Amino acid sequence: MALRMGIIAGALLLLAIAGVMLGTLDLKQAMTSTWVLQELRLSRVLIAILAGAALGIAGALTQGVIRNPLASPDLIGVTAGSGLAATTTLLLFPQLAYGWLIPAAIIGGLLALLLLLWLTGDHALSPSRLVLVGIALSFWFGALVDWLLSSQPQQINAALVWLTGSLWGRGWSHVWLLLPCFLVLIPFALTLSRKLDLLALGDDTAHCLGTEVRQVRLLALSTAVALAAISVAVCGAISFIGLVAPHLARLLVGGRHLLLVPTAALLGAALLLCADIAARTLAPPIELPAGVLTSVIGAPYFMFLMLRYRGW
Amino acid sequence: MYFRTQPILPLSLLFLLLASGFVTALLGGSTFNLQLRHLWEALSGNQTLATELILSLRLPRVLIASAVGAALAISGALMQGITRNPLASPTLFGINAGAACLLVVGQTISIPLLSDMPLLIQTMLGALLAGAAVFLLSGGTTGRLHPSRMILAGVAVNALFLALTRTLLILDEQAQSVVSWLAGSLVDTDWTHWQQLWPAVLLGISVSLLLSQKLNLLALGDEAAAGLGGSPERLRLQVSAVVVLLAGSAVAVSGPIAFLGLLVPHLARLLVGQDYRMLLPTTGMLGAALLCWADYLSRLLIFPTETPVGLVLALLGAPFFIWLSRRQGRTA
Repeated sequence: MALRMGIIAGALLLLAIAGVMLGTLDLKQAMTSTWVLQELRLSRVLIAILAGAALGIAGALTQGVIRNPLASPDLIGVTAGSGLAATTTLLLFPQLAYGWLIPAAIIGGLLALLLLLWLTGDHALSPSRLVLVGIALSFWFGALVDWLLSSQPQQINAALVWLTGSLWGRGWSHVWLLLPCFLVLIPFALTLSRKLDLLALGDDTAHCLGTEVRQVRLLALSTAVALAAISVAVCGAISFIGLVAPHLARLLVGGRHLLLVPTAALLGAALLLCADIAARTLAPPIELPAGVLTSVIGAPYFMFLMLRYRGW
Repeated sequence: MYFRTQPILPLSLLFLLLASGFVTALLGGSTFNLQLRHLWEALSGNQTLATELILSLRLPRVLIASAVGAALAISGALMQGITRNPLASPTLFGINAGAACLLVVGQTISIPLLSDMPLLIQTMLGALLAGAAVFLLSGGTTGRLHPSRMILAGVAVNALFLALTRTLLILDEQAQSVVSWLAGSLVDTDWTHWQQLWPAVLLGISVSLLLSQKLNLLALGDEAAAGLGGSPERLRLQVSAVVVLLAGSAVAVSGPIAFLGLLVPHLARLLVGQDYRMLLPTTGMLGAALLCWADYLSRLLIFPTETPVGLVLALLGAPFFIWLSRRQGRTA
C-alpha cells in the first residue's frame, strides 16, 4: 500500500514539474525568464494541486457517508449551491474584496446541503433519493446562476471565466487563500476517516462500537462541503473529479478510509493538474477551461461505472 | 379504466389560455407600443410600420413558439408513455444537449457527410445519439427504467455533450451567436425557420396522435399490451422515432429549451387524465400556450433586453423537478 501511494505521489511530483515546464512559451525562454516560472506557472500548479486534492477528499467523504459509490459533491447539488452563492457575491457586491468569495461559497454549499437534507427528510439518507433530489436542486441553482448572469450583463465576464471552471489568471493570492483552509480541514478529514470506517460496518454496529452515527455523518458531510466549496470559490465548478478520484483510489488501495482519503487527495490533485496542463497546451494560444476537460474525461468514466454498478 | 368523460371546461379554459398567450406574445413586450387595433389593421391588409412589425417579426416568432412548445411537450409525454417513468423528458435524457452538440459540430468542423446535411438532420442525429446512450445506460434493454439510474445517465450524457459543445465553441472563437441560442432563445427567428419547422412538427404530431390508442394499451403493461394484439417493441421504436423528429426539429430552431417536456405532460394529466387520445392534444396545446407566455415574460423580465426564454422556463421548471423527484424518491 505504502509503495502504491509512493508511486502516486511520485507521479504527482513529475506532473507538477511538467506543469511548470510545459506551456505556450518555449521551454528555453521559460527557463531564463524566472518571472514566468515563479509568478504564473508555479502558483497555478500549486492551485491545481490544492483544489484537486480538496475535491478528491470531498468526494471520498461524501461517498463514505452516503455509502453510494455514485455520490459526489457535484451530484448532490453542493457545488451548484456554492457556485450560486459565489456568483451572487461577485455580481451583486462587486466592491467586496476577493477574500469574501470563500466564506460565501462555503455558506452557499452548507445551505444547499441543509436544503437537500430538509427536502429528502433527514430520517433516511437513502442514496437514490438523495441523488435525485440533489440533481434537481443543482438544475435549479444552475438556472438561477444563468438568470443572474443574464440580468447583470456588465459583470458577465468576471463571472463567466470563473464559472466554467478554469485555472486561468489565478495567482499567488489564491494560493494564500487556499492554503490555510486546507491546513485546517485536512487533518480534520483524516481524523474523521477512522470513524467512517466504522460507519461502513453498518449503523447499528458502529453505534455499538461507540460512534455517534448522526454526528459523524453531519461532520463528514460538512467537511466535504467546505472542501468542495473552497475549490469552487477559487477555480469554479470543476466537475467529476470528486467522483472519479475516490473511485480510482478505492481500486488502488481498497476501502479503508485512512488510506483512501489521502490517496483520493493525491489522485484528485494529479487529475486536475493533468486537465489543466492539457487545457493550456492542446490548442495554444487558446485556453480551454479545465472544467470542460475534466467532464470529457470524467463523464465516460462515470458511464462505465454506471454500467458496472449493480446496487440499483 | 373508463375514458369516455369529456372535460369540456378545462379544455375551453386551455384554449382561452393559448389564444390569449398567442395574442399577448404577438403584441406585448415591445419597445413600440403595439395595440390590438394594429393587429386588426394587419389582418385587414393595411400597411403601416406597426403592421409590418407584426407580420414580419412577431408573427413568425409566435408561430414558432407555439410549434416548438407543442413539439417539446408532446415528445415529453411520449417519452413518459414508452418508459412508463414520470421523469422521462427531453432535457433529462440529454436529448436537447445531444441535438445542440451535433449542430455545433456540424457548423464548426467540416466533417464531409455531416456538414452537408440540413440542420434538421444534424439535430435529429444528435437527439438520437443522446437518447440511445441514456436508454442503454439506464438499463432500458432489461425492461424497467430505474428512475435515479436514468437521471444519472442523463446527467453524464448531458455533461459530456455540453463539454464537447463548449470546447468547440471556444476553439472556434465565433461563439457569441451560438451562445444565446444554446440557452434556448427565440430572438432571431423568422419565416425561414417556420418553413423548416412546421412540416416536421405537423408530421410528428399527427403520427403521435395515430399511435395514441396503442400508448393507452402500453400503459397497462407490456404483457397486457402484447396480449391485446400490440407489439410493445415495435411501438417503442415508432414512438422513439417520433420523439427524435419532434425534439430534433424543435432544437434546430429554438435551441435546447429546458423542462417544457417534463412539466407540461404532468399538468395536462391533471387536467384531462391518463387517456393518451385526450392527453396528447392537451399536452400540445398547453405546451404551446406555456411557451407563448414564457416568451412574453422573457421580453418583459428585464425590459429592453431579452432574457433567453429557455432560462425563464428553467427557473419555473426546476422547482417542479425537485418536487417530482422528491415524490419519486419516496417510492423508489
